[in-house]
Amino acid sequence: MSLIEVKVPDIGDYKNVPVIEVHVKPGDAVRRDDPLITLESDKAAMEVPAPEAGKVAEVLVKVGDTVSEGSAILKIASAPDALTAPPAETTEAPFAPAPSAAISAPSLETRTNPAHFPLPAGMDVGNVHASPAVRRLARELDIDLTRVAGTGEKGRITKDDVRRALVGSAPQGGAGIPEIPAQDFAKFGATEIRPLSRLKRLSGPHLHRAWLNVPHVTHMDEADISDLESYRRTLDAAAKEKGYRVTLLAFLMKASVVALKEHPEFNASLAPDKENLILKRYYNIGFAVDTPDGLVVPVIRDVDRKGIIELSQELGAVSEKMRAGRIAPADIQGGTFSISSLGGIGGTSFTPIVNAPEVAILGVVKSVTKPKWDGAAFQPRLMLPLCLSYDHRVIDGALAARFTRRLADIVEDVRQLVL
Amino acid sequence: MAVVDVCVPEIGDLQNEPITCDVVVLGAGPGGYSAAFRAADLGLKTVLIERNPVLGGVCLNVGCIPSKALLHVAAVMEDARHLGKHGITFAKPKIDLSALRAHKDAIVAKLTSGLSAMAKARKVQVVQGTGTFRDPHHIEIALASGGTSFVKFEKAIIAAGSEAIRLPFLPVDARIVDSTGALALPQVPERMLVIGGGIIGLEMATVYAALGTRIDVVEMLDGLMAGADRDLVRAWQKHNASRFNRIMLKTKTTAAEARTDAIYVHFEGEAAPSSAEPYDMVLVAVGRAPNGARIGAEKAGITVGDHGFIAVDRQMRTSVPHIFAIGDIVGQPMLAHKAVHEGHVAAEAAAGKKTVFDARQIPSVAYTDPEIAWTGRTEDEMKKEGRRFAKAVFPWVASGRAISMGRDEGFTKLLFDAETHQVIGGGIVGKHAGDLVSEIALAIEMGSDATDIGKTIHPHPTLSETIGMAGEVFEGVCTDLPPSANLGPHRP
Repeated sequence: MSLIEVKVPDIGDYKNVPVIEVHVKPGDAVRRDDPLITLESDKAAMEVPAPEAGKVAEVLVKVGDTVSEGSAILKIASAPDALTAPPAETTEAPFAPAPSAAISAPSLETRTNPAHFPLPAGMDVGNVHASPAVRRLARELDIDLTRVAGTGEKGRITKDDVRRALVGSAPQGGAGIPEIPAQDFAKFGATEIRPLSRLKRLSGPHLHRAWLNVPHVTHMDEADISDLESYRRTLDAAAKEKGYRVTLLAFLMKASVVALKEHPEFNASLAPDKENLILKRYYNIGFAVDTPDGLVVPVIRDVDRKGIIELSQELGAVSEKMRAGRIAPADIQGGTFSISSLGGIGGTSFTPIVNAPEVAILGVVKSVTKPKWDGAAFQPRLMLPLCLSYDHRVIDGALAARFTRRLADIVEDVRQLVL
Repeated sequence: MAVVDVCVPEIGDLQNEPITCDVVVLGAGPGGYSAAFRAADLGLKTVLIERNPVLGGVCLNVGCIPSKALLHVAAVMEDARHLGKHGITFAKPKIDLSALRAHKDAIVAKLTSGLSAMAKARKVQVVQGTGTFRDPHHIEIALASGGTSFVKFEKAIIAAGSEAIRLPFLPVDARIVDSTGALALPQVPERMLVIGGGIIGLEMATVYAALGTRIDVVEMLDGLMAGADRDLVRAWQKHNASRFNRIMLKTKTTAAEARTDAIYVHFEGEAAPSSAEPYDMVLVAVGRAPNGARIGAEKAGITVGDHGFIAVDRQMRTSVPHIFAIGDIVGQPMLAHKAVHEGHVAAEAAAGKKTVFDARQIPSVAYTDPEIAWTGRTEDEMKKEGRRFAKAVFPWVASGRAISMGRDEGFTKLLFDAETHQVIGGGIVGKHAGDLVSEIALAIEMGSDATDIGKTIHPHPTLSETIGMAGEVFEGVCTDLPPSANLGPHRP
């Protein structure tokens, strides 16, 4: 049998991702593709599966450790027969316990080579870019400088970086925002503590960042979707038989691409120097999905190259995957514009938060039949409220009005989609 | 590892109660007194054991300080002589050796008495005597005043230093001295041999040359001042070509006979004279050996290496975790400033502080004429390792200040990491190089790069400017040299 070192596979463009769960311990038998550990990235949790069957010889990470692509996480002893053997097979020789269990208190006799004395954590900082004063502060606070990102010039680690590392928060720009003071609610009545879901804990800071950084304006309009709706119903009836649905969202996505192509400022991001606009030549549209665990915004790639049928099928599959909690980092990356639809629930309008670094997001609520004057009489028309939030640093009000109007025009006459 | 004998029946036989303390420091050189003072400042009850009647160790009493007092005198004499070229001629100097000796001794006395006062102010108990370990928690002291005493300690810091290496084949004679003997200024010999071309030997050679002695230097290796980059040493050697009589490299001293008229020394090797040479004084400066084998370390269970060095970790802990060691006794470089920093680390670690010796550079200075100073990585060492680096040099012939002083033989060299352009080393040869090198030391510790140094305004006209300009040379923006001398990304 041989020892295989299991490494973190390609997990998208993430580094230093925390381990949130370790599913195995030394001695456990695993089958190929059994989950070994769970990692938490920006908004998704992902499992690292066993590359092949065997027995866990050693676990190299624990909950709370951070890993990147290529980090060793554990060692599996593979035996050729283990591939077929049932997982409960225990005929193999027992494995040595993890090394952490074998470390005993240092005794006089064992400490013969002082060069190998363990130093307290974070004391050997190698060549990190930090001055002696910063190195000293880090030692006093037990901060491992090799794990601190420097915000100073040329990546120099500053005292502030060390202090921030101590409170465990990422560096924040701008003036400190006063905290909401803690209150003892129990004084007023019974309370209970319910932990936020992991998704909420992850999406919270992202939404907060976007809300604080982006000067938001929301523009409201409405589109007459009476004709679209009847066309959609026809398509949907046919689709149902084939096991998928055609929703308004697919049309909104296609219409958005047309409007985005005509207004490239909306398919863009502000460069970090805030002096340039990065225009994107691809059209990946995110859509907000309400899952039992919280909000997720999966991204549909290359919407401009997909038809309504293909989009509808993909939307169905992705939503299903998100609700099941099987979210891979690649599913939620690379968006250029987002749509948040509350149409199935209700409401007359709302102000969605721009999914920064994108610069605009379209919110839609429930369509309502309204009397519309056609020049001679009021006609009952199905009207869809559109709420476009945008980054006012990039987009002006007039442009936003034009964009939204154009979007409405397209959905009012979907024949334009084929032009 | 030896089994530690923890039964100490002898302690019970003492006529005196042992002195108890939190920390005992063995040796009061710069490392030892710094460790003791820091420990006391951290609130620990501290005892300092020193065999000499005064504090300060070799450095203050018979090393750095007295040698600098004499080198200063030598430099002024040299400068005065030099002024002859500029139209100012002084009378030939008269040397009153006993007055010079008294001047040097007064300087030493001033500093050592200051130390005693500082020990008192910190309530550090100084015990004069020779301390040796009896077990992991006791040191026996053979008191200078007679009798013995014991110290019972929680933690100990060994700072017992080093001693000049003797050459066993040399006869015992008052004219054959080590650095301590040479600093005592017993005479101004007509002919003097310095055995060993290291920093200590060459500093003493510089002093005696200024006093009028004709000096030969003999060195076994193929170069002087081992450890310094060769380009620095070459500049020194060129300036000193006429100061010394003979510099014999790759040559060994094989024997010496003490006759009444002189010490006759036999040599062997590349530059050896054909017959024995007569000298009025012979200085043996072939290095220093640590005192690790003289302190009863084995009784405390401390591992001592073959050459008398005590191995320590980066908190200065020996193989016995509550006993620390610092300074010359733990390894090269044997320098007071290294020992002081190690002493602070040991004292802080003994007081339970989170601390570690993490210096990225330890400067070395030869207080010769011109001075040579270097710190961080050296060019020669990196070439040997095959490490990629970049370098920039500013020659002092382009320094207004150096020219004004009539001393433009030097240069300033900075060494950079090839990737990050951070300063990782540097060397200076020239007047006041030892004072100038501190800027390079700070640059290395701060992780500064060439731009940081070049963009820092240095005062004009100074020698320190040459460091800023070396940074500019690297960047290619120096306007005090021809454009072709500029390197780097912005090269004209």
